[in-house]
Amino acid sequence: MATLAQPRYTRPRTGQVIGKIALYLTVFGVSLLTIFPVYWMLVSTLQPNKYTMRYPPPFFPQEIDVKPFAALFTEHPLALWIRNSFLIASMAMLVCLALSVMGAYALSGLRWKGKNLFGLFLLVTQMLPEILIIIPIYIIYRGLGLLDSLPPLSFVDAAFALPICIWILKNVFDSVPPECLDAAVVDGANELSVLWQIVLPLALPGLVAVAVVSFFSAWNEYLFAVILLSSGNLQPASVGLTTLRSIADTPIEQYMAAGTIFSILPVIFYLSMQRYIISGLTAGAVKG
Amino acid sequence: MSETASAIGADDPTKATKRVKAQFASRNMRVLPYALALPIVLYEAALIIYPIAQGIYGSFQQIELAANQPPTWVGFANYQRMLSDPGFWQVIQTTVIFTVLVILVALSAGLMTALLFNRPFRFRAIARALLMLPWAFPDVPVAMIFLWILSPQFGIMNVPARLLPGVKENVQWLQIPELAMAWIVLITSWKAFPFYSLVILAALQAVPQELYEAAKVDGATPLQLFRYVTLPGIRTTLELLVVLASIFSFKQFTFIFLMTGGGPSGATETIVMRIYNTAFRFYDYSYATAIGVAGFLVSLMIAFVFIIQQARRAREAA
Repeated sequence: MATLAQPRYTRPRTGQVIGKIALYLTVFGVSLLTIFPVYWMLVSTLQPNKYTMRYPPPFFPQEIDVKPFAALFTEHPLALWIRNSFLIASMAMLVCLALSVMGAYALSGLRWKGKNLFGLFLLVTQMLPEILIIIPIYIIYRGLGLLDSLPPLSFVDAAFALPICIWILKNVFDSVPPECLDAAVVDGANELSVLWQIVLPLALPGLVAVAVVSFFSAWNEYLFAVILLSSGNLQPASVGLTTLRSIADTPIEQYMAAGTIFSILPVIFYLSMQRYIISGLTAGAVKG
Repeated sequence: MSETASAIGADDPTKATKRVKAQFASRNMRVLPYALALPIVLYEAALIIYPIAQGIYGSFQQIELAANQPPTWVGFANYQRMLSDPGFWQVIQTTVIFTVLVILVALSAGLMTALLFNRPFRFRAIARALLMLPWAFPDVPVAMIFLWILSPQFGIMNVPARLLPGVKENVQWLQIPELAMAWIVLITSWKAFPFYSLVILAALQAVPQELYEAAKVDGATPLQLFRYVTLPGIRTTLELLVVLASIFSFKQFTFIFLMTGGGPSGATETIVMRIYNTAFRFYDYSYATAIGVAGFLVSLMIAFVFIIQQARRAREAA
């Protein structure tokens, strides 16, 4: 009954005010920590380098200049790199979309012996570091004459993205109301047409998430691309960006502009599909 | 299936259930899952399992790619060399230090921000969206940005550093072994912590509010609330994240490769980096595959812990 004894209105205590201030300062600090590197990339892109290349550099941009973006396309083969990235990522995406629909349906809607084993198999393959297969796959591809070609590279990228794609889609399939499935079965539909006509349309966001994850994991991928491709005109943008660094005369604003162009699509798509992607990354263990 | 099937037709549940069961028991039904799973198993086997098997096989051979000679069988020679190589044990030590530091830094950053974001405040939605930015950013540009921020000539990181007493000139951030390791850990954690934060936040929001109320009535201090209510509520999530974080940091290649290449003088050379350097800088494929097998065993161990954890969770949930 202690609450009744309190007056109805109390002036906020100094402790509370300090707490509030501390809270907002911490939030500001955390936000600064997460966005500063990105902010600095944008500033270094848009500001002429007479400001950036001096010490100490100004914290806020002094002048805005968008020429570095144009220079990237005229002075460097950025368009070609992006085209290559696009091709690799699209092929990986198609493979993952087709296979993850099958895998997710087998893990979600159906009951069968070996289902747990199949899930376990996916979990283990998902956890293996890429470096473990890079030497053998290099030797195998070399023997088969598959080095320096885009489709074999995207197949490897797809193999590493596939388990996560299957988990993402499985979680979405799991959320399709069972009444819908049963009603269709009663109407005489077979299991495949249930998948095709009922589950897939309801799972559209999941399919988009799978497309995003598989496309951009191949888009962002660096290790396989740098080892399995050697000719410059097949380089994807992830590798191309790093070659800009070794060209000593690449001005910093072009270098940062290239990073910005490369990042903008993955950032937008990952952020907009984050709920689904995180549920797949934790393999359904934690509800994200 | 049976309990869901009964939900269809309230008018005649038994009949509907029977029809559903008949359909699902059909011959197609028994073959279908295997037909769906088989292409995936074959695909993953061809591109991941088979290469790993080839790698294990290759670790018992001497491989000379450049000379175009067929590989020769050398038995355990590569492993003998590995176990007696002080460089290998150095790499193991570096990997353990790196992994443990990333788990500590990234998870405590994730936990603290999750606790922060679990409180109501203005602009929380915006701050949360900003929090996810590092997670959504691709690795290669992240490495590029930090190389620029840490540039000894113009890097903006020198501005706060030179405010410290005793720092008179710009710092060679990636040339000093301890600092290079610290930065690789910080950057790996910067990229990873938003994900942990979001997962922990979801777990925090699942802790029943009544527990807090009850503890407060009993006069618990904020620290006691955290120790006896919050922590037990998110324990399983934290355990899971420790395993996920160790996998994530163990796999880390791009940042280390692009920022230090394993240097200075091996200070940031993890197993993954050593495999790369041995194979593609020194062209010693056989020795690299042997180190790869060691790396494979480590990842299997982590995967094993993860699976046991999952099984325990599933049992607890049931």
